[in-house]
Formats: sequence, C-alpha cells, structure tokens
Amino acid sequence: MDSSAIRIAIELGIAALAVVLGLLLRHRRREAGRLRQRLESATGKLQNLQLAFSRFAPDEIIERVIADGPGEIGEKKEVTALFADLMGFTALSERIEPNVLIRVLNGYFDRMSEAISQHRGYVSTFIGDGILALFGALTPNPWQGDDAVHAALAMREALAVYNRELAERGIPELSIGIGLSRGMGIAGLVGSQNLKEFTFVGGTVNIAARVQDLTRQHDADIIVTAALKETLDPRFALRALPDTQVKGVAEPLSLYAVDGFADVAVAGD
Amino acid sequence: MSLMREIPWESCLLEPRRDPKLERRFRRATGRPIGPIIYYSGTSWLDDTTLLFNIDVSKQVSIDSELVGLIAMIVSQDNSCRFCFAETRALLRILGMPERRIAQLEHDLLSEEFDDRERAALEFSRRFSRSNPPPDKRDFDALRTAGYDELQIIEIASIASILVFFNRVTTIFALPPYAFEKLPDRWYVRLFRPLIAYAVSRTGNTAQIDPLRPNERKGIFSEIVLGLDGLPFARSLRKTLDGMWASNVLTRRAKALVMAVVARALGCALAGKEANELLLAEGLRSDEIEEVLTHLASPALTAREQQIVAFARETVWYEPARIQQLGRHAMQGLSREEFVELVAVASIANMTCRLGILAGAA
Repeated sequence: MDSSAIRIAIELGIAALAVVLGLLLRHRRREAGRLRQRLESATGKLQNLQLAFSRFAPDEIIERVIADGPGEIGEKKEVTALFADLMGFTALSERIEPNVLIRVLNGYFDRMSEAISQHRGYVSTFIGDGILALFGALTPNPWQGDDAVHAALAMREALAVYNRELAERGIPELSIGIGLSRGMGIAGLVGSQNLKEFTFVGGTVNIAARVQDLTRQHDADIIVTAALKETLDPRFALRALPDTQVKGVAEPLSLYAVDGFADVAVAGD
Repeated sequence: MSLMREIPWESCLLEPRRDPKLERRFRRATGRPIGPIIYYSGTSWLDDTTLLFNIDVSKQVSIDSELVGLIAMIVSQDNSCRFCFAETRALLRILGMPERRIAQLEHDLLSEEFDDRERAALEFSRRFSRSNPPPDKRDFDALRTAGYDELQIIEIASIASILVFFNRVTTIFALPPYAFEKLPDRWYVRLFRPLIAYAVSRTGNTAQIDPLRPNERKGIFSEIVLGLDGLPFARSLRKTLDGMWASNVLTRRAKALVMAVVARALGCALAGKEANELLLAEGLRSDEIEEVLTHLASPALTAREQQIVAFARETVWYEPARIQQLGRHAMQGLSREEFVELVAVASIANMTCRLGILAGAA
C-alpha cells in the first residue's frame, strides 16, 4: 500500500471517528436535554404542590415542613372557631339516592366554603357533614370575631338560596346549626405518621362544637359564646340565651343567638 | 416557563396616560424607559416616589446589586406579584445572570446555589415582607451571624420595603406583566443583551452614606424614617410621607385611617401610636378611633371613609386576583385620582408599618 492510500485511510478513520464522536455528543446532549426537561417538570410539579399546600397551612409551616419534614410544628394563637353541622342529615340520607345525596352535600360544602373564605376564614376540615372553620389561624387577624360571625350570617343566606334550588329539584331543604367560640389554643400539624393536617387544638374548638350541638335545643341556628360576644361589633343583633352547662366545661356557658346585623349609619360625606 | 405566569391576574384597572415630560425625567434619572408609571401617573407625590424608589433600588450604599435583584425576586414571588417578578427576572437575565440560577431561586430559596450569607438575607427579606409573624431580634441576630453590619441590615430591609410598596401598587392596579414576561426571549434583546447590560450598568450602582438634614428629621412617622438614617432611601421616604400628607386628593383623615388600620393589622405599635395622634388631630375622638380600629366601622365615619377603611385592611395579606377584584369594587365610589392615591397610601402604609415593626425589634 502506498503512502497516499495510507493517508486516505487515516483521514477516513479520523472522519469516521469524528462522526461517531459527533453522534455520541448529540446523543448525550439530547439525553441531557431530556433529563433537564424531566427535572424542570418535576420541579414545576413540586412548586405547584407547594402553591396548593399554601391553601391548607400557613406559608411558614409549609416551609418548615419542606426544610425539616413534618415534625412537631405548633404555635400558640388566638383563633375564632366556627363549627357548622347539618341538622337531620341522617334522616335525609335514607330518603334520597346516594349519588344525589353526594351531589347535594358537595353543593352545600361549596357554598359554605365560599361564604367562609369570603370572610377570610379557612376551612380546616370537613367532619362527615360538619365543617370546622378557623379565623385568624393562617394570618393574624384582629377582626377575626366580626369576620367569623359575618361568615356565619353569609352561610345562613347562602343556604337559603341553595334550599330554593333544592326545592325546585324536589329535594328536601337543609338546615344548619353553627356554633362559634374564640380563645387561645395551639395551631399546628396534627395527626399520625402517615396522615397529618394543619389544624387548631384546644378548648375553643371543642366549645364551638358543643355550642353547635345546642342550636336545636335553643331553636337558634347561630350561637356565640360570651367570650366571642365581648369582641363583637355592637351592630350584631344578639339575643341572650339561658346559661347552659356543656360537657368538658366546669361553669355553665353564657350564650347568645345571632339574629342579624344592622348596617352602619354613616356621617354625611 | 416560570410558574408565576400561571397566577390568575385580572385585566388592568387603569388606562395608560402618556406624559412626555415625566417620561424624559424618568429616563434621565434612571437610564431606563418609564415602565409601569404611565398607568398611574398624575399624582404628583406618587410620580416623585416612583422615581425616587427606582433610584434607591438601583443604587446601594453597602450591598451589591445582585443581592438587590435576588431580594426583589424573592419578595415579589412571595407577594405573588407577577409584574415585579417578571420585571426583575428580565433585568437579571439581561444583566447576565444565568437562567439556571434564576430558576433555582424561583424553585428553592434554600438551595445550595446560595451561600449562607445570601440565604440569610433572602430569608430575612421574605420574613420582613410576609410579617406573619413579623421579624424579631432573632432575625437580626441571624443576619449579624451571617456577617452583615447594621447599615447592610437596614439596607436589606429598605430594599424589601420598596418591593412591598411596588408589589402592592402593581398588583392592585393589575398592571400587565406580559411584555416583561416575554422580554428576555425576544431576539433583539438576546442579540443586544451585552449592549443593554452595559447601558443599564452605566447608571452606576453605588450611593454614598447621606445623613438626613435637620429639617428632614421631623414630620409624620419621623421615628421610622430616623431608623433608616444614612441611606438615601431615608430621604426618599421622608419626601414621600411629606408629599402624601400634603396632597389634597384624599383627606388627611382618610390617609391617617389607612395608616391606622394597616398598623393595627400588622401589630405595629410605633405607627399605630402616631396614626392615632394624627386621627385625634383630624377631629376623631379616642373612643371613635378605638371603635373604628376594633370593628372597622363607626357612625363617626363617612360612607367613603368606611369604604376606604374596609379596603385598607385587604392590602396587608392578599391573593392577587381577589385584591384586584376588591380594587375594582373600591374604584366605583372614587375618582381615578382618589383611587390611585388610596392604593398608593395603602402601599406606603404597608411599607412604613413593616419598617416600624423592624425599628421596634432592632
């Protein structure tokens, strides 16, 4: 083989090597691009998850969970608890089809949640057909008491509208009892290793639930405790109810039914 | 694509108004086009404030401009301000920050991309902006441990407070962020990026320590302003507060009510005490003030004041789409000038009260 043939062979070899290397590089680049895309997509999903979480717990809590895991996270706070329950729901559930019942229940939860969030409340949990909402739990709120009672009145109004819709569909109307209480407690992540939720623990929530139980007894759909009444706008129309002993509280509770709200008379502009 | 682009955003509440004189003034002072001010210009003190705060953000005494950009991004992200976020993101990209580093900041503040010093400043800024709970002595100590001196700490807080102001103004007015969101990817920006970066950086990024003059040490909320003494921003805030107070678009009583409500929401005793004194001077009795601040209503208030008070509380913590809807609702009873001033005063109140909490904590 003469020298020119050897040179051509070497050049061809080098060219082939360059082509192979080029293909390898292109393959690596594509691979890296795909990996980057997957990483971006995963990060995006994580960020979406974080945004979604922010509707269920304060940002501070979410960041601590992300940084340190869901350990023992809690802080002392003053909160107003609103506990709402459907009256006669068990009887209703026996009278209508399960799928209709679920639709009715979801429609009810949607409307009540809207009324609560419009007044800066946060729905902590649904317990069967009950709702626990908190005011002042996610961000400090010096007006939490007024907000909570306005939310209760908005729930009453929203339910009246919903009942008219149900009546048109031939479904029996719903009625609710709402108990409200204000006090100190611990806000934090509560639950088992496998399932945790951001909620508020303490006497305030228990009292709100007990007060809700009394709505039927006192023939009033919205009842507030004296501790909450003290902080309320005097324009709420309140009616004193007989002092009532409730389970878990030593002294009888002074309670008030909420009849409505009188809009403010204003000074001339 | 940034997930910030997915935040629901209403259509802009205001129509842009061209003002060639203001545009020239802005370009001369900042080296940049006028930007968002064309939507809300016309209120003399607010035009001045926008200009002054833009200069304060671009020229620092003791911290570097990259840290300022990072603070602007983190605070804007925390306030879900699509407009300011997109603007800062575009500026950082044009100035040459790699996309990877920006994406890292968007996705994870605690990422290893940031050293301890940067991370401490960013965490502090976010805590300052969020104020839930407000920063306390431990937050200052964390910055000191990270190596920042007192002037640098005040300057970090100042930058975060300016963003607290701009985030509210641009979010409540729902200024359109779309142009900024697409800007860094435009072919001409990519092509001329080094030239644009050079032009922007030519405006300089250093300022000198400049103590307040004796006549600037007085005025409303002077204790809070004095806490910033030494920074050019202290003078800007002094001028802003004086201009806002002197303006006769909204009454002084309405402006003091906004300050008092925001101070009560944030728990700022310093600003709350002074707002209370301003309200007394404007003719409200102590019991009436207490009634307003306890229930956000009183027969002593006019219907317009009632509306203003209700709106002011919403500006402390908010979701963009909801505050924009509330803004649109608040506009109905007010003229354009009154609405613009209301949003501006509420934004200044949020900034001043957060600085007031800091002054107390320091």
